Amino acid sequence: MINNKTAFRHELISAWCGPAFLITFVVFWGIIGQNLPNPSPALSATELAARYAENLSAIRLGFIVSLITVVLYLPWTALLSAQMERIEGGFPVMAKLQLLGGGLTVMVVSFSAMFWVAAAFRPEQSPEITRMLSDLGWLCIDLQYACTTLQMIAAALVGLADKRSVPLFPRWVCYVTIWCGLSFLPASFTGVLKTGPFAWDGLLSYYIPYACWLGWFLIASTCMIKEVNRRKLVAETAENSSLVTSHA
Amino acid sequence: MNSTVKTDQGHRAEEGIWIFIFADMCMFGIFFITFMYERLKSPALYIESQLQLNQALGMINTLVLLISSWFVVLATRALHRGRPKYSSLFLGLAFFCGAVFVVNKVIEYSEKIEQGISILTNDFFMFYYVLTGIHLAHVLGGMVVLFVLMRKLKNSSFQKTGMSTVEGGAIYWHMVDLLWILIFPLIYFLR
Repeated sequence: MINNKTAFRHELISAWCGPAFLITFVVFWGIIGQNLPNPSPALSATELAARYAENLSAIRLGFIVSLITVVLYLPWTALLSAQMERIEGGFPVMAKLQLLGGGLTVMVVSFSAMFWVAAAFRPEQSPEITRMLSDLGWLCIDLQYACTTLQMIAAALVGLADKRSVPLFPRWVCYVTIWCGLSFLPASFTGVLKTGPFAWDGLLSYYIPYACWLGWFLIASTCMIKEVNRRKLVAETAENSSLVTSHA
Repeated sequence: MNSTVKTDQGHRAEEGIWIFIFADMCMFGIFFITFMYERLKSPALYIESQLQLNQALGMINTLVLLISSWFVVLATRALHRGRPKYSSLFLGLAFFCGAVFVVNKVIEYSEKIEQGISILTNDFFMFYYVLTGIHLAHVLGGMVVLFVLMRKLKNSSFQKTGMSTVEGGAIYWHMVDLLWILIFPLIYFLR
């Protein structure tokens, strides 16, 4: 086994991957990738191809970098699983479910960004092809949210069952988590609608669910960093007192 | 007075449920505001489309949900009074009402689809399907909650300690009812 100090260092690095993911996602996927606001599904093929042509370098940079930084979600997910296992004990089903959900979330986000890199790959191609690839990217990310919902619900259920005096997640965080996970539900309508608030550029299928997801991620990251620091402090105090006694 | 204090001791509903409900109501609040905003742009289309809805089925469903809420109240009251068997029975009746609501909704949807009205027909029907669909998901979720509570009430230790859990479930079910009471006039009747 690796020593305590190294273990805590790994845990803290994983925990801080959370905020790092959040910032890089908003900057590269959102701002540089031209997803704030994102392209409407109602755009004609030529309009969409023109949007790609005008922002070619930004879109390429944004999504290619996103495809690297999205994996910051993985160490964070692994840490959360380890923290959940500690609560669950010998049979950590929910911790494993959370791990799967988080891992697959990364694949969903990655594949959609990859489709957009592909859409920008040959700007001279026919506009219909560009639109098809852009559509694939959006449908990929908006219809496959259920993996993330499961990840969030698993974390919330274990959080609610955490009977320690200072739990990993306060109870209100658990309820917010379940609700945020379910807020993706309207995004399923993106598979059919091209205009309005439930289309993939709409308030209720895009801005609110994505904000809820990232908001949950920020709250959970904060709780996780605090939990690691609490255990670290206890371990250090125990070590110091044992040093004192051995010297005496 | 004394007896109320006694029965209420340690029976406060789970606080977190209120956060969940607050968030959910905010979400539906935004749904309603967007609906009204879009409706202002083309009121004629909305009114004309609205006439194609089956108001009678909507009305029946409103009554069914109101009755189910009453059963849920009776269920929590029965548990307060130490009668878990009745509590379980009332939860079962509320569950049955939920099932009637779902069947009714399926009939309503299939009627619309037979008439060739889909989510893509126009903006009004987009809202109709989305709002009632998301509400239906809430009803189904609520039925799962009622069913789980019914099963748990068979357990004698839960009969003593489960009050706050049952109240949490009851509060959620009332919210589902309340949301329908807002959706129903907004979509079926607003002129």
